[in-house]
Amino acid sequence: MYGFEALTFNIHGGYLEAIVRGYRSGLLTAADYNNLCQCETLDDIKMHLTATEYGPYLQNEPSPLHTTTIVEKCTLKLVDEYKHMLCQATEPLSTFLEYITYGHMIDNVVLIVTGTLHERDVQELLEKCHPLGMFDSIATLAVAQNMRELYRLVLVDTPLAPYFSECITSEDLDDMNIEIMRNTLYKAYLEDFYQFCQKLGGATAEIMSDLLAFEADRRAVNITINSIGTELTRDDRKKLYSNFGLLYPYGHEELAVCEDIDQVRGVMEKYPPYQPIFAKLSYGESQMLDKAFYEEEVKRLCLAFEQQFHYAVFFAYMRLKEQEIRNLMWISECVAQNQKSRVHDSVVFIF
Amino acid sequence: MEEENGELNPESGRASTKQHQEEEEEEDRKVVKFLDSADSYLDLFESLSSTLRQGWLELATARQSMGASRINSALFDLKYHSAATSLQVIQDDVKQPNFTLCKWVSIDNRNSSTEEAKFDENELFEKNSTNAQLRYRGTSEIQEKRPESNVSTLTVDDQIQKERSKSLSMFGTLVSPKLRSAQISFETALDTLVEMANMRSSLLSTYDQVHKDMASTKVDEKLIAQVQV
Repeated sequence: MYGFEALTFNIHGGYLEAIVRGYRSGLLTAADYNNLCQCETLDDIKMHLTATEYGPYLQNEPSPLHTTTIVEKCTLKLVDEYKHMLCQATEPLSTFLEYITYGHMIDNVVLIVTGTLHERDVQELLEKCHPLGMFDSIATLAVAQNMRELYRLVLVDTPLAPYFSECITSEDLDDMNIEIMRNTLYKAYLEDFYQFCQKLGGATAEIMSDLLAFEADRRAVNITINSIGTELTRDDRKKLYSNFGLLYPYGHEELAVCEDIDQVRGVMEKYPPYQPIFAKLSYGESQMLDKAFYEEEVKRLCLAFEQQFHYAVFFAYMRLKEQEIRNLMWISECVAQNQKSRVHDSVVFIF
Repeated sequence: MEEENGELNPESGRASTKQHQEEEEEEDRKVVKFLDSADSYLDLFESLSSTLRQGWLELATARQSMGASRINSALFDLKYHSAATSLQVIQDDVKQPNFTLCKWVSIDNRNSSTEEAKFDENELFEKNSTNAQLRYRGTSEIQEKRPESNVSTLTVDDQIQKERSKSLSMFGTLVSPKLRSAQISFETALDTLVEMANMRSSLLSTYDQVHKDMASTKVDEKLIAQVQV
């Protein structure tokens, strides 16, 4: 029952909640970002990061550094922290933590299938997979010719199996089918995660509902914008929207028929939580939309830490860490390309 | 005879002066053309640098938006396929080769198209050619045809959009507008590169001409000096 978590949460979740709050205090601050934004070279960035919690992961990297190396090593830190929490977690927290990684699993499946379609070497593709989304039989994905085989040979034994019911066909895999498969899987995953959090109840259900609804709405907007001018029909576009969220169902009806960014803006401005996001953009512009969405997401994720005795802090920490890694990737790219004047275009401060 | 010589010399003198002036003007024109070409080449160089910087930043923005797993070199298509864009080198004049870029007209499309599509593809071929000579001819042809074939122009634009989407499809069919902007930037950079190649070819050719003129002027001056001595 909501409100009585304080009595029992700490028995199984208290240690890990303390651990994740400790991890949260290690996130980079605005002062750290200001120092990083003033770096002239990637070696300077490495030097600054060595003084943070990323130190052990970067200090032995030889020069010259590459931006992908910085991102890989920072991601390794996230993976280590996640694995530490997962191995200590009991049910239902362990299932909750596993749910957080299913998105990466879907991305890895699509990466392997797409790369195989393009006749790339499987080992090369495996190196590019996100470590949080790895599973045992992932390399076998390269053998499948269509979705039915994909499911039957590999994915039936993975947590993604239940999400395939809506997209199993015998059609050969091509770029459009793969894109629809990606979005259909992600839709099913979000809905499943949402239902799982609802079953957990309490503060977890309340906070995670808000965070996952925001994720679903953001996905709907991105799918709409990215499909403008493509062959994706209105019906197909609508099928990719999740069946929950603030925009469900009327917002989805309107988004499905949008043909340009201004129409999308017109739809979104009817919803008060999204008005401030679109107010930051000028008409016809979509360049800063991603940053505006990330800023809103970070605000909501930080708020999750204001309450105790719920699992949303774990989800919030993972997402904030991913945002931090995105920030570091952007700063590294701007420094490497000698475009420091653009560094604040995409950095989202967390604190 | 001396009187005849006296009458003839002023006219031949005026004729040689006029010829000399014309030669000088021609040399000046060549020098000016050389300097203009050099200036245009440097402008194009700067424009290329700026376009490429923009393209790389847009690519980084697209990676930020879509995720590093969706935009990376592991997704490049290694299957055999015809190039969507090709470069033709026309070498009528050995010293001044001419470069033509044919964008978004792959051989696969030309072989498999219907009659109507072939007409559209010829329009596409002419429209996308960046050869300086063909540009003027092609443009005037297209302008003459435009009142009659606005529909075919729209179809050509659709075809170009389809080809662009097809080449981006290795990263997925629902890609960020930033990735499309990056594609346009790199496409513009490619156009600029071909323009630079043509400009450089013209520059080198003009330089050779100026150099030759300078060399022949020096020889003439030596001969004149010897005669005077």
